[in-house]
Amino acid sequence: MSARTIAVPVSGAGLRMAALLLLIVVYTLYSTGPFVWVAAMSLRTTTEIAANPYGMPWPAHFEKFASAWFDSNYDTYFLNSVTIVLSAVALLTIIGGMAAHCFARYRFRFKSALYFLIFSTIIFPPQVTVIGLFQIMVDYGLYNTRVGLVLVYVSIQLPITIYILEAFFARIPKDLFEAARIDGYSEWSIFWRISLPVAMPAIATTVILNTILLWNEFLYAVVLITEDDKRTLPLGVLRFLGDQLEDVGMIATGLMIAIVPVVLIYVFFSERLIQGMTAGAVK
Amino acid sequence: MATVTLEDICKNYGNVSAVRDVNISVADGEFMVLLGPSGCGKSTTLRMIAGLETISSGTLRIDGERMNAVPAKNRDIAMVFQSYALYPHMTVRDNMGFGLRRRQKDKAVVARRVNEVAASIGLTEYLDRKPHALSGGQRQRVALGRAIVRDPKVFLFDEPLSNLDAALRVSTRAELTRLHRELSATMIYVTHDQVEAMTMGDRVCIMSHGEVAQIGKPMDVYLNPASTFVASFLGNPQMNLIPATVSEGVVDSGSGKLARSGLMSGSKVILGLRPEDLAITGDANDAVLSGRVISLEALGAETLVHIDAGSGKPVILRGGRETPARLDDVLHLTCKPHMARFFDAETGLAITPGDTQ
Ligand SMILES: Nc1ncnc2c1ncn2[C@@H]1O[C@H](COP(=O)(O)OP(=O)(O)O)[C@@H](O)[C@H]1O
Ligand SMILES: [Mg+2]
Repeated sequence: MSARTIAVPVSGAGLRMAALLLLIVVYTLYSTGPFVWVAAMSLRTTTEIAANPYGMPWPAHFEKFASAWFDSNYDTYFLNSVTIVLSAVALLTIIGGMAAHCFARYRFRFKSALYFLIFSTIIFPPQVTVIGLFQIMVDYGLYNTRVGLVLVYVSIQLPITIYILEAFFARIPKDLFEAARIDGYSEWSIFWRISLPVAMPAIATTVILNTILLWNEFLYAVVLITEDDKRTLPLGVLRFLGDQLEDVGMIATGLMIAIVPVVLIYVFFSERLIQGMTAGAVK
Repeated sequence: MATVTLEDICKNYGNVSAVRDVNISVADGEFMVLLGPSGCGKSTTLRMIAGLETISSGTLRIDGERMNAVPAKNRDIAMVFQSYALYPHMTVRDNMGFGLRRRQKDKAVVARRVNEVAASIGLTEYLDRKPHALSGGQRQRVALGRAIVRDPKVFLFDEPLSNLDAALRVSTRAELTRLHRELSATMIYVTHDQVEAMTMGDRVCIMSHGEVAQIGKPMDVYLNPASTFVASFLGNPQMNLIPATVSEGVVDSGSGKLARSGLMSGSKVILGLRPEDLAITGDANDAVLSGRVISLEALGAETLVHIDAGSGKPVILRGGRETPARLDDVLHLTCKPHMARFFDAETGLAITPGDTQ
């Protein structure tokens, strides 16, 4: 074995590739770091964490997950999150889809005024509106109810949902709708049989976006829900926050239970999501 | 099987008038072509028949029945769009069956009908593909098949061939003619292509600026255009239109003369001569036009000779391959007298010699 050096030809493109790879690696470390840290803590007890915050999870306390799930009511939180988010997303998709369909396809009186009205709501940060909302919810008997939270979620996400879908619907050639009209279909069936299926990429985008956003929503939930059995996953951490003591280990375990579904959605649907965001008009 | 009648149909967009006082009567089983330059209101007219646009005034009848207020879905018409408008999320099979499924609940009947039509237009092997996996010609066929499956009262076409390449256009033209014969259905066909109009139409309706300029059999319209607009729109190269004055039974083109009685003496007319009706003569006294050759186009089968006869636009003669003309020659042209057409210099409308005006 002689120590011969082999000259590797380095092209400009190769260099650029290497730089890009390096950048991606650094960014990945930067963004996964906190996640890995929380994941590690979720398997360690608070005492272990206090001793060494950055230690490895050996031995791994998997029983903490069972304890959170069964003893700390996380099964209920999970079920609440699933039902509330799914209902809100389903309503958002249908109502937002119909509204977007109308904004994109029909000309009617006060159209732009209506559009502006829907959008004007997003200029206020939630911290401003939440107090008024609280009062309204109390007045209508929706305070501390899951139905109330679903309605609030629908209303806060509706503008952006309409916006994304409207942009997509507007790019569907109008010949398609006219062909369907001539084929004998009513406006109602055209919405279900043409608009929605053709706009599937955009629909998928809004479904994924809304699911993730609402799954993580904390502010409205913490203000509008007081009863423990009605809480959603993001509120679960409240259980481990005492006046004097914070059970950091269990908070991490709870967080992991809340985060994992979101990570799974990203893993399985990220391609769909990118497709929908960048989708061109239908040919 | 149906007749379509348009009575004084108008369409206004705000205060813009897109279609004015259109009267067309399409007979049962007729192939009617709406022909005209872009923006003349052909599509608007067709879309009013389809029910995709409201009718501002006038009456539309299908089979004698007033249709103005009947929604598109109840008019029993099928339309082939220029863009084909295939549903991108459905297979060819579903695209073709979509309209029929709405009216016919029995799935087996729909399936049978789709298969039958697909076989007749050569789409069988593509039935399970989605539109994006088809070529332009195949998509066009699916659009056609979708209309045929429905077996509608009236077929409407809006420039269905304009997205095809030239060769495909020729073969599809022939196929559409065959289909029309086989189905003996009423068809209304919009195009700006005069070759399509001439070859396919039982009758053509030529439109200009939202109005009907002339309706008739293609050859009748070609031979006897009702106005200078029709004369210049039909025919390639177009009809030569030469300003002339009439005196004592002679039409004077400025560079030649044509004997023709029945025109009012002293009136200004436009003399219309088709390029193929002109011939070269050696005798200057016979000439209806004379002038210097300014360019020659040898097209193989024929030669186009452009002559400056001092009447503004060059006069074009269409001769055979062996046309004896060279650049800068001075030529004298004659025409078959019965092929000469005359138009009023002011209104542009055709004048039949003998009309007392
Ligand atoms: N929705 C509309 N609003 C206003 N004007 C229109 C509209 N649709 C068509 N027009 C006008 O009507 C005229 C006829 O259009 P169209 O029927 O599409 O012409 P063609 O099909 O003969 O090319 C054009 O001048 C066009 O600008
Ligand atoms: Mg058109």
